[in-house]
Formats: sequence, structure tokens, C-alpha cells
Amino acid sequence: MTDLRPAGFDRRRFLAVGGVVGAGALLAACTSNDTGEATNDNSQVATGSNDNAAPGTKVTIGFSGPQSDHGWIAAISKNAADSAKRFSDVTFEPVEATNEVTRQISSVETLIDKKVGALVILPFDGKALTAVARKAMDAGIPVVNLDREFDTPQAYRTLIKGDNYGMGVAAATYIGEQMKSKGVANPVIVEIAGIDSLQLTQDRSRGFAETLAKYGFNVTARQAAQFTVESGQQVTANLLQAQRKIDAVWNHDDDQGVGVLAAINQANRSEFIMVGGAGSANAMRLIKEDKGVLKATVTYSPSMASSAISLARLIAQNKGLSDLVEKQVPKSITLASETITKENVDQYLSLGFES
Amino acid sequence: MTDRTEAPAAVEVPPADEQGRVEQAASATASPRLGGRLSEVRNLGLVGVLVILAIVGVATTDGAFLTRSNLLNILVSASIIGVVTVGMTFVIIGGGIDLSVGALVALSSVWATTLATQDYGPVVMVLCALLVGMGAGLVNGVLIAYGRLVAFIVTLAMLVSARGLAQSLSDRRTQLVTVDAINDIATTEVLGIPLLVYLFAAVIAVGWVVLNRTTFGRRTFAVGGNPEAARLAGIDVRRHTALLYVVSGLCCGIAAVMIMARTTTGSSTHGDLYELDAIAAVIIGGTLLTGGRGTLIGSILGVLVFTTITNLFVLNNLPTEVQNIAKGLIIVAAVLLQRRSRASSP
Amino acid sequence: MDALLTVSGVVKEFPGVRALDGVDLEVLAGEVHCLLGQNGAGKSTLIKVLSGAHRADSGEVRWQGAPVAFGTPVAALRAGLATIYQELDLVDGLTVAENVFLGHEPATLGFSRRGAMNDATRVLLDRLGHPGIRPTREVGSLSAAGKQVVSMARALSHHARLIVMDEPSAVLDSGEVANLFRVIRQLTADGVAVVYISHRLDEIRQIGDRVTVLKDGRTVAVGLPADTPTPEVVRLMTGRNVEYAFPRATAAPAGATEILRVEGLSRRGEFQDVSFSVHSGEIVGLAGLVGSGRSEILETVYGARKADAGTVTVDGKALRSGSVRAAIRAGLGLAPEERKSQGLLLHEPVFQNVSVSSLGRFSRGGFVQRGRELAEAARVAEQLDVRPADPKRVVRTLSGGNQQKVVLARWLLRGCRLLILDEPTRGVDVGARTEIYRLVRDLADSGVGVLLVSSEIPEVLGLSDRVLVVREGRVVHAGPADEIDESAVLDLVMEGAVA
Repeated sequence: MTDLRPAGFDRRRFLAVGGVVGAGALLAACTSNDTGEATNDNSQVATGSNDNAAPGTKVTIGFSGPQSDHGWIAAISKNAADSAKRFSDVTFEPVEATNEVTRQISSVETLIDKKVGALVILPFDGKALTAVARKAMDAGIPVVNLDREFDTPQAYRTLIKGDNYGMGVAAATYIGEQMKSKGVANPVIVEIAGIDSLQLTQDRSRGFAETLAKYGFNVTARQAAQFTVESGQQVTANLLQAQRKIDAVWNHDDDQGVGVLAAINQANRSEFIMVGGAGSANAMRLIKEDKGVLKATVTYSPSMASSAISLARLIAQNKGLSDLVEKQVPKSITLASETITKENVDQYLSLGFES
Repeated sequence: MTDRTEAPAAVEVPPADEQGRVEQAASATASPRLGGRLSEVRNLGLVGVLVILAIVGVATTDGAFLTRSNLLNILVSASIIGVVTVGMTFVIIGGGIDLSVGALVALSSVWATTLATQDYGPVVMVLCALLVGMGAGLVNGVLIAYGRLVAFIVTLAMLVSARGLAQSLSDRRTQLVTVDAINDIATTEVLGIPLLVYLFAAVIAVGWVVLNRTTFGRRTFAVGGNPEAARLAGIDVRRHTALLYVVSGLCCGIAAVMIMARTTTGSSTHGDLYELDAIAAVIIGGTLLTGGRGTLIGSILGVLVFTTITNLFVLNNLPTEVQNIAKGLIIVAAVLLQRRSRASSP
Repeated sequence: MDALLTVSGVVKEFPGVRALDGVDLEVLAGEVHCLLGQNGAGKSTLIKVLSGAHRADSGEVRWQGAPVAFGTPVAALRAGLATIYQELDLVDGLTVAENVFLGHEPATLGFSRRGAMNDATRVLLDRLGHPGIRPTREVGSLSAAGKQVVSMARALSHHARLIVMDEPSAVLDSGEVANLFRVIRQLTADGVAVVYISHRLDEIRQIGDRVTVLKDGRTVAVGLPADTPTPEVVRLMTGRNVEYAFPRATAAPAGATEILRVEGLSRRGEFQDVSFSVHSGEIVGLAGLVGSGRSEILETVYGARKADAGTVTVDGKALRSGSVRAAIRAGLGLAPEERKSQGLLLHEPVFQNVSVSSLGRFSRGGFVQRGRELAEAARVAEQLDVRPADPKRVVRTLSGGNQQKVVLARWLLRGCRLLILDEPTRGVDVGARTEIYRLVRDLADSGVGVLLVSSEIPEVLGLSDRVLVVREGRVVHAGPADEIDESAVLDLVMEGAVA
């Protein structure tokens, strides 16, 4: 009980405490993701130079989307918010992003109760949110259905979505043409899909396979990843073992594509061409550099969120699309899936999203 | 029924209860070092499973399975989850469970790949990943050991909040690693074998030595096998328990560095469901979920079995859903096989 | 009146122990028959044979005149013989009615008829004089006494003709005991017989009709009237057949240094104001019933429990309360009561169990030097004659006596100053006991102080130099072991005063 050493001289404890404090300081300094540059202002929002851009009646637009770690969904939310900011007559009212259907339903209900002027909804599950979207429509709130379609047209005023089948078609067309011009008779074509249980993945694969068939080609090997970098890497590492020589790869998603490319790089493979999907900024930069296997990507652009906000505003203000003859916004818009290659990448760079 | 009537007997003739008699009968025929043999037999069962998988691989893949590059590929694929499993083995032998491993891998990878961290260079990035893992592990350990909370709950909470923190740090974006020294870890080969495999082997070797040759390892078995006896024998059970979670966190940090190199990214989606894979590997490796008994080698064999299964399925171009069904079946089969070989052993 | 249950010449043998060595018992319908005997006399084994948990090796049990051998507790219950153990076997999460009818719920097509069940339970509780307990109440929220009533209702729901109660009053306060007696009288008035086991002679005189005394697995008196005088009963209980050889102290511990001093030690609800000291070379024994606080005192001295008040001093230095590590560092060692659950790493080999408290000595830089560890542990194990003499053998496969030696070896290896032994010979067979006694005395002769607790009074008296008698958390007597005899101690622990 008579410890003669003062507590301060306990060297081990002193070092331990010092170490913990130092480690804490180090970690605290490591949390920032600030680039130090001004945030890039190449946002994918309508430039609006026509009559419709002029401020009209004030509109509150409610926005509800799923929560995700996926760069694409993150870009959707960001685009919607940025786009709303451009309009002085729009008040943007986003609700908490969630991947739980019941919570998304109740947050949409909150927006209905607030009597917003228009709703933009990207449902986590189109079927499950149909009822609440109809409820909004019945309450006189126009709904812009973003990308994942509701069960019935009565649940939305306007649908704007990407073309999943078209993505497959575009990717297959690019690969088909390349193989033809290279004169490859029986190409080994590998497909790395996204989450297999999703309808959109199945649509993409169907478009891909059906279009390849027109060239007389088929998919040699197909594996599904999880839209995550890690799963893309894992699946590709194994696939490369299975196929010693590959002619072309289509990867559905540029986010998981980072992992796909890492695996290709680590296996030292470069004998094939690769086509991406969705159109991330990173993929576009690689296409522009033209140093690796990635030669093209087919778009499924999150810019549709910006357009959805524009459409919601026009609908609420009772305006049409100024370049169209009709006085009203069309009922449905499907975006074309475009093929970005080295030749045209510059004009798309501003639309690429950061994964 | 017998259990309930057994209890009061302790008052008068505990040594002579039926259990004691059964044990004595068993010890008369079985080897006195039953425990040691048993785990060896379990491991043999797993080696058997691996051999069967290899035979299936050779038979179905037209030469693609049994190539140097594919075998190395299996080892590399196993390396990341394998390192996590080493930490998990310590925790489970010590009588705990760590559900947060996958989330800790994600958090460490994100923290170590923020732009600010990458500015400091590769050494700080590695240090950062290890410190984040150990720090989160320490939080787990302190809450469990000193806060007397249930490990399942604490690490479940850590799972949720670490992933949340990873999401908020990364703003849900994939952070590309632009520091070449990190990315090189995945591409460097020494004597024709990838650096990741050496790392994996090093972690296993250190883990094995610590578990089997140090006081720390000895105390891990004691704390997991009989915490009350360990306490009364003078082991600081609480500090030891806390340290076990730090070990697990450290392994997650190492795994995070490896995953950063392998995917060239840090992301809050990394390490998805690692907790289940690691626990499954530990269990089929013969470690008791109740703690106190187990082997590191068994856990590693468990990891290899899982990785080989995935590899086989991709090589055969089978769809994911079939993979999942088969994986479940093989887990059950592996455990059944182990029990069989145990029953038939002397 | 016809005998409801007749037991004659029942023998039950376990390896190393003849737990029952010819027991006779006769229980009449509607009587309260008390079963008396010291710890180890065979009471629990007899109950287990009656209830079907154990099978008798030989002898006869007749139930309502016909010879029976209940294979399982369920079979006994179906025949009308119910047993209520000290550790009540109720499911805390279920309601009273669900517990009463657990396993034989009134049901139609698989749907339990809750209404009928609750009604029937209410009738049973009324009959037991406890209409206040709601059948829908959760059992976990009841007191120990309440739970006991539920157990009895369960017995009655099986139409029990005989209910065996194993120390039912141990968990009750005096008011609740009075209530229990009321219930028992109610039962016997209905013709149900009760076999009542207790250590408390006053209770037996209050509630019992007749008494059977067991000693060392034999019946020494069958069907005595309950008002047999205490000295007579005590004489029956203590007259021993088996005498253990206790080694005497070789030298009087006069002038020995004081190792342990305990002053005013208290823990609320467990024990109050306990003071004593242990000198080097001295064995101090604590005698008392289960629940008297004796084990709690030991564990508090060892730091496994934190004292509310009082001090523990070892070699003149006060120990930090509630720290096992501090106690071990000061030189204390414990051989706990529950050897398997508290003392041993059952799946580890002998040498690792021996070395676990001295690992620091065999490690350099955290690495265990296995060779030295094994050699040292083996040396100590050999010194204590642990058999078989294989230090790598898994401890689980050792006999009770040898397991105890492993625990002793652990502290011998560490070189402790004061050894605390809680029930050192529990689960140790007759032959090995003498060995353990010899070892303990040898340790004391080498200068170690020993603090000992045992339920077996002859053991405490025979082994100790000084004896403390504990009753209800207080030391009621302290003095040299050779100045008090077994019956006096028995009186003290049961009655609280020397008869």
C-alpha cells in the first residue's frame, strides 16, 4: 500500500496514455475527404435557357429515394438537390433515405400530409410503394416516378426511367461490332452482372444476350456480383481463372467495375476489351486515358433525377416541355442508353458521377 | 428430466454421479489425451472435404482448377477473410463472439482511404487502418468485459454503428486508392507467390504461436473454458476478454489494408457478411461456440473450404442461387463428416 | 393403517462410494415422515431412488403394497409420488397454471384449454390455502415460498399420494415456514403423505409424526416418534461406523506468526461481523450448515466477493476488497467448493491446470517455456501423488480425489502462504480422503496456514486445530478443536446454543 513512486512516474502507463492520445490525434486528422478544390460545378442539372426557366409560381417538391452505398443512388440524391437549387421558385423537401419499404411509405405519407406541390419518388420497391403513390395522386399531388416503375400508371403523373434492356443492347452492339471488325469468329464473351435477383439486372442480361445472338455470338460465362467493389473483385478473380483467354467483358456497373478492373490488373490480363455500365466519372476518365482494357461504357445516367425535378416543377406550374408542341409534360420518358467511347467521352464527362 | 433430478445430488455424492461414471468408463477405453486427438480428427475431416472438393474441381473444370495460378487465386481469395477468421478464432475460443468484424473492415478501409489520410502516404494509411480496427475492438472489449454487457449485443451494435460511421465518412462513395504503394501490395509477387499470401501466412503463423505458445494463448483457453475457475486462479479475466476483442479488431485492420490493396478502394460496403463467413469457418473448423476449445488450423481449413467452393462454382459458371444452396449443404455435410470421423475414431 | 410406501434393504452403489447400504423406510398415508441425517448420510440418494432418477442396485420398494421400480421421474409422478427439490424446477417465464400443468395440459385437439387449466389451478391453490396466487401470474415474479406452493400444486395436479420435500424450509423465513406447515397439515388431512427432510430439529418436532434417521447409508432408526429427545437423535446421527484417520498436528502452533487476520467482515444478507485469524502452520475450520454463510466468508476473504464492511489483512497488509488478484499476490490460494465449475479447466491437461496460476514464472517475453512448465508441474503433481502419474492427461478423466490434488498442486507450485479449502473432500471417495487429510496437514506443517470449510463436522473437528461454528451468518463459537465434540457442534449449528 506504500507505493513510493508517484503515479506520474509509471512509465508504462505514461507511454500507454501517450500512445492512445497520439493515435487519437492521428485518426482525427484522417477523417477529411475535402479535396481542397472548389466543389466541381459540372452538376448534371438542366441549364434552362428558355421560357420555362423563368421563375413561376412557388412550388414545394418532395423527394424520397432509397438509401444506398451505391455511387449511382448517391448521385441521384445529389442531382435532385442540386437541380432544385437552380430554381428560385422551388422549395426542395427531401425525406430521409431508407431501404425499408414501410419507412419509405410513411415518409411519403408525411410529404402528402404537408401538402407539397409535387412528389418525386424513386421507390425502393415499385410494387410496394404503388398504393401510397396513388394516394398522393388522389390527393391531387402529381407524382413523378423516377426509374423504378410503379405497378399502375394511375400512380404517377409522369414516369422517367432509364432503359435497362437498352443498356444490354448497347453493350452487345458495341462488343458485336468490335468483334466483327477484328474478325473474331467465336469470341469468348464474359458477363459480370449486378445483383441477380433484381428485375433490372435480368432486363440488362436479356438485352445483352438477345442482341449478341443477332451477331451469332453468345455469352460464354456469366456471374453475378453485388454492385460492390469487393464482390466485383472476387467474382472477376475467379472468372479469370476459368477463362484463360477472353475476347470481351461486359460489366453491368461501373461501381463494382472498380473491383473488376483491380482483379484484371492483378491477374495481368489485357487480351480483351471491356465495356462498363451506368457511366461513372471514373470509368469515363479511364476510357479517355485509353490505357487499360476499359474501352466503353453504356449509360444509365443518374442525371434523370435532375430531369425529374424539372418535370415535377413544370407539372406543378402547369407548363409543358417548351420544345414539344404539347401543352403538358408527357406521361412517360425513357432515357436512351448511350455508348460512351474514347471518341465521344469529352461531351459526357460532365455527366459522369463520382462513385 | 434427468437433468433436473441430477442437480440436487451434488449435495451428497457428486463424484459418484452418473456423469462421473460415464466419464470414467470413457477414459478407460479412450486415449487420456482425448481433447488433443479430437481436434486433430476434426481437422482431418476438413482436409477430407478439401480433397473431395479438389477431386470435383479436377473432374469438372477441364484443367482450369488444378493450375498454379488458380490455386494461388484461391489462397489470395481466402487471405482477407482468413485474417479476419484468425481474430474470430481467438474471440470464440475465449468464450465470446464478434459480429462487428465485417463492419470494422469497412470502417478501417474507409478511414484509411480518405483524401486526408492518403495525403500522409502509405505508412500512415496502414497505421490508420490498424488503429481504427484496434480502437473499435477496444470499445467492444471494454463494454463487454468491464461494462458487463453481452458480447452478442455489443458487437451487433458496433456492426451497425461502424458501418454507419463508414458511410458518413465516405459519404457513401467508393474511395479510390491513389497511393501506389498500397495497390502494389496486391500485385507484388515474391518468388512467384503474391505478397497477400505471405501476409496471410504470417498472420496465421503469429496467431498460432500466440495461441499455442504464449501465456496469452493459454489464458485464452482458460478464460473461454471456465471463466470462473480462471478468475479464481488469479487470471484477470476482464482485461483478457477486452484484449481478445482488440486482437480481433487488429485482424480486421490488417484485413482492411489487404482489401484496400485488392480492390484499390476503401468502401463502406467492404466486408459484407464477413461475420457470418468467419463464424461459420471457425465452427466447421472444430472450435466450440461455447469457448475453451478449438484450433486455429481448423478455422483456416474452414476458410479454405468456403473459398474453394466459391471458386469451383465460378469455374463451372453456375448461377449464384445454386452456389448459395450448395454452400449451405456443404456446411452441414462438413460438420456431419467431422462427427462421423470422430465417432469412428478410437 | 396400511403402509403407503415401504422400502427395505435398498442398496445403491456409485464407483468408490456405497451411497445407500441397506435402507429401510415406511411411510403411512396421511403422515408427515421426517428423514434425518448428516451430509453424506444418503438422504438425497434415497430421494432419487424413490423418485425414479436412480435405480436401486438391490433391495425392494413397495408402493401401495405392490413392488415397483420407477424407471423415470415421470413414471413415479404418474403413480402418485411427487418430489419437490430445493432448487425448484419451475419455468419462470410461464404462468402459474402453465407450470402446474406443464407436460399434462388439458387440451382438445392440441389446443390447450386455458380456461379449464386456470380453473383447475385455482381449485388446487385454494386447497393449499393460497387463493391469493393468481393462476395467470408469471411464476418468475413469485417469491421462493410462492414457488414452493406452485410446486406443491403441480404435485397435487398429478393426484400425488406422497410428496417428498427436500429441505423446503431452507429458502423460507419464519413466517413462510408457518404457512408451509399449515399447507402440509392441510395435505395430510386429505390423506396425502409427506416425507419431510430438514436439518432443523425444532421444525421436525413441530410438524413431524415420525422420524427415520440415516447414517452412512444405513437406517439407524425407523419410525421413531417425533418427540424423541434431541440428545438421543443427535447420538443416532453422529455414531459413526467409518472412522477416518486424521493426522494430528506434529507441533503445537504456539508462537507461530499470524498470517491472516479478518476483522468485522460483513456482507449484507450473508454474514455479519466475522473476525478470526489464522497462524502459520495452523488449520482453522469453519463448521456450519449449507446457507449459513460459511462459503461466502471464504470467498470474501479470497476477494471473490466484495465485503460491505471489515478488513482482511495478510502478513500485516490490508487486502484490497473484491480483488482475487490482490489476494493471490498476497499469497492466498483457493480450492473452491465446486471443483468442476470453479476450480478446474476440465478439458485441459493436468500440468496446465497446475501451472495456470504461476504462468508468469514460466514465461519469457510472453512465451511459455513448455519444457520448464511441464517439468515443474509434473514435479509438484508427483509430490502430491496425482494418479495416474501422467501430467498430460486431461483433468476431466481423473477421479474426484485426484482432481482435488491437482487444485492443491496449483497452489503448492505457486508457493502460497494461506490455503483456503472449501469442502476439500466433496466428491472424494473414502480411500482418497485420508490422503487429502494427510496432504493438508503436511502443507500446514510446512508453514502454510489453512482455512477450511466442510459440511462434515467430523472432518472439521478431526482436521482442524481451531474451530469456528457459523450459524446464520454469525460466528457462534470459536475454540480449539479438541475441546468440543461432534454432537456439541451439531447442536450449535442446528439450535444455535450448546444443548
